[in-house]
Amino acid sequence: MSARNASTGADRGSRQWPAAGPSRVPNWVYTDPEIFAREQERIFQGPSWLYVCLDAEIPNPGDFTRSRLGTREVVAVRGVDGAVNVLVNRCAHRSMQVCSANRGTVKEFICPYHQWTYDLEGRLFGVPFRRGYRGQGGMPEDFRPEDHALERLAVASRHGVVFASFAQPNETLEDYLGPLMLGYFDRVFSGRELKVLGYQRQRLPSNWKLMFENIKDPYHASLLHVFLVTFGLFRLDQQSAIEMDETGRHGVLVSRRGEQQVNEATAQMSAFRGDLRLADPRLLEPVREFPGDATVVMQTLWPNLIVQQQSNGLAMRQIVPIDAQSFDLVWTHFGYADDPPEMTQRRLRQSNLFGPAGLVSADDGEAMILSQAGIAGNDAAECLVEMGGRDVANVPHMVTETAIRGFYQHYRAVMGL
Amino acid sequence: MIAVASGLRAPAALRARLADLYGAYDEALAEGQYERWPDFFTETCLYQIIPRENYASGLPVALIHAESRAMLTDRVAALRKTILYAPRIVRNLTGGIMLRSIDADGLRLGASFAVFQTLLNEPSTVFLCGRYYDRVVEESGTLRFAERICVTDATLVPTSLIFPI
Repeated sequence: MSARNASTGADRGSRQWPAAGPSRVPNWVYTDPEIFAREQERIFQGPSWLYVCLDAEIPNPGDFTRSRLGTREVVAVRGVDGAVNVLVNRCAHRSMQVCSANRGTVKEFICPYHQWTYDLEGRLFGVPFRRGYRGQGGMPEDFRPEDHALERLAVASRHGVVFASFAQPNETLEDYLGPLMLGYFDRVFSGRELKVLGYQRQRLPSNWKLMFENIKDPYHASLLHVFLVTFGLFRLDQQSAIEMDETGRHGVLVSRRGEQQVNEATAQMSAFRGDLRLADPRLLEPVREFPGDATVVMQTLWPNLIVQQQSNGLAMRQIVPIDAQSFDLVWTHFGYADDPPEMTQRRLRQSNLFGPAGLVSADDGEAMILSQAGIAGNDAAECLVEMGGRDVANVPHMVTETAIRGFYQHYRAVMGL
Repeated sequence: MIAVASGLRAPAALRARLADLYGAYDEALAEGQYERWPDFFTETCLYQIIPRENYASGLPVALIHAESRAMLTDRVAALRKTILYAPRIVRNLTGGIMLRSIDADGLRLGASFAVFQTLLNEPSTVFLCGRYYDRVVEESGTLRFAERICVTDATLVPTSLIFPI
């Protein structure tokens, strides 16, 4: 059997998912470079809608931002017609990146190497010395610039959030999300104009799927996160729910804020610290801003986005796989364009909970590093995902790993594992 | 050693006191005495660690954002009592301190920093580097930071940022 077959899944026999199904996750899915290559091909370059950026980052024609969709880098640019174009950042000539700034405004993209020039739709319109010089050289007679555009992705956007796909999915973004997930999505993205507040970026030496698992796992949150638990921002004794779309690929974790008090549940959480008090309580002074009584909705959208709404802390967390054992997490913090200054200030204070220095999120980063370290040398072992049963079902509580099972149920189908 | 911007008059005694402030700050962090860290700031201070990509674009989100000495105290309590992290040693070096101006709001200084991180059984690495933009004021005979904006050159943080810089 050739190496080529091995990476396209023709030899499924060499990697056997445990017979127990999605309640077991084999460690090789976090370490094997061939699995990683297959993920890029089938998930990131397959028929998925991938999160790219927010409309608010590129409000005017010519505004662009770079984004990484899996291992491939794209430029999202607003065209003269006002629509967003998502173009692979690769000159059709010799593969040089045509854009090397993270953000900016341009009239066209000019490759710095030989000045091949592309319009905002990615069409090639300038090739220096195309006809040669004094009758010598130049491109062949049959060279057609229209055959050498920047690779352009299918684009879908909803209420200020831009998604794209390398393979035109056979479903609209709305159908891809499904009615349940769309409802949660529209809760934060109601069409109200967004305002970007800034970026946090973090590189973690762990597999990208561990990030999804972390947000799909409410069990850890009540045990690992002393800060969240103590200050009642998230605890499994609070009224909560885990819900998924029909495929299991997307999920939400919904909860409500509680009090800092000892009860039957907090007594089982060594993380609960009844004695801790904030010296400056302004750090946590959440106000209700969404309909309903949920104060936390963490939504995981296959395959590269977490929409964070924890109190007034709003962020897109974009997962960017680098290789089997590392990924970047890009946090785009935002509020609404019509937020009063005190609301912006509140969001900034609460942003201390998130990112690589987050009073809560630093725990997650470190936990993923330690997970990968434990996985890396133990390829033949399996992770046990049985909390709350072995099935995949929506539940009105937090003592479960069902959303991780849902994720792997879908993952196995896409990956042919 | 504190340099002074061209044309600015600053008494040698003031420069010596500033050098002591910067030296004592680095020493407290180098020795892991984080409980001493909030005392280098005024009660209503602004302390931020902010990526240059945000700072240069006027985007306010930081990695750490504190609007009072009490918020710094809370940060220390968190790193001592609540945050999970793998063992590490983090070392700050400050250099090229320049007193840029003196006005009614205090002394404005700039300096460069480098932060090295050593994880257990791993080699030492450069963790972060960048510029401090500081405003120092005198409070009942003591110089303190009223503002310390730590602008990091890198857009990203390798692993996690646990300790103040």
